[in-house]
Amino acid sequence: METNGPGTTVGVNVALSGTLKDQNDISVFGMVEGEVVSEKSVTIGQTAQVKGPVKGELVTIAGVVRGAITASEKLELLETGKVFGSISTKNLVIHSGGIFVGKSDMPTDEESTEQPEPESEIEPGEPVDEETLIPDEE
Amino acid sequence: MYYYIMEPPSSRAVRQTYQRLRDLLTSLGIAGEMMAASPARTPEELAMMGLERGYSTIVAVGGDAFVNFIAQTIIGQAVLGIIPIGEAQQSAELIGTNNMKTAAEFLKFRRLSTFNTVTADPDSLIFLDAVIEPPKLAKISFVIDGKLRGYAYFNKLTVTRNLEIKIESEHLVEPKKILGLFSTGGTVVRSLSQFHGRVVRLTSEPDLAILIDGRPVVRTPLQLRLNPNSLKVITKRGSIL
Repeated sequence: METNGPGTTVGVNVALSGTLKDQNDISVFGMVEGEVVSEKSVTIGQTAQVKGPVKGELVTIAGVVRGAITASEKLELLETGKVFGSISTKNLVIHSGGIFVGKSDMPTDEESTEQPEPESEIEPGEPVDEETLIPDEE
Repeated sequence: MYYYIMEPPSSRAVRQTYQRLRDLLTSLGIAGEMMAASPARTPEELAMMGLERGYSTIVAVGGDAFVNFIAQTIIGQAVLGIIPIGEAQQSAELIGTNNMKTAAEFLKFRRLSTFNTVTADPDSLIFLDAVIEPPKLAKISFVIDGKLRGYAYFNKLTVTRNLEIKIESEHLVEPKKILGLFSTGGTVVRSLSQFHGRVVRLTSEPDLAILIDGRPVVRTPLQLRLNPNSLKVITKRGSIL
């Protein structure tokens, strides 16, 4: 499902399987087995259980997520939230009581703008000439 | 010139309203051909007759279900005009007035808005909100755009012309009894879901009717398909909605 309507809400009494994709906000309070993808915010409510990857700009977790979470701007794990899986975000907030079991990756702006170091002319394992280590004479 | 189709009058008062409308349309200079639906001449037959006679605008005079029915017949072939009379809250909101005189003036100014509609297989149209309200909590299964499957328990399901599906439910969860004897009230669990797509398949247990203004339009199981910008309607302000 990929649409640009008024957003998607999955209520407490709903169980879904498949790809839930929306250009607008997604709120989940029921059960979802599959991918949850929004170009804006994704809210996983306290009653929600999600088994699958979650992607969004702002991701807020108050329920249970078993899967990788990618938040391009901010990921907030609330006190009732439980995440079992990897997370990737620039801005991570974990409230007291929130449970996170998995790997965390925090890409920073520095990494993307940082110039790569020039490659060494010396191959690993190659014997180093003494001249190479002598500083240039002024 | 417009072609008017009037819903069979439900009372003497409505009959008198129709007479006043005739006078009003004449005074505005937009009195066209006026036909009254009856058991002998269904709205569908009258609308088909109007199309065959070459009318490019057909005006539905009546309530929401009647307006939806005329829209179903003329979609893609003529512009829809509306004069809401009786139970016509949605039609009134859509055109921007529930006043007969103002609605007639809108017809004169002829500002067009384009609306989405939904086709419910095989040939029913959902232009105004359609509702399923089972007598007790029922189960609905759905497939949205072939990619998302799910089910829900619901008390009310609404389908809009933009193919938004709103599912509402409310049920009481019994509390655990203390010592197997005493309990202290229950908790009401309310659920509201909203989905939207281009093609939606609905199946319910049991099969249920979808109603517009209390009149059945189609029954489950069914497939719904979005028709973007498919119906031109005369409204207060012309626009693409």
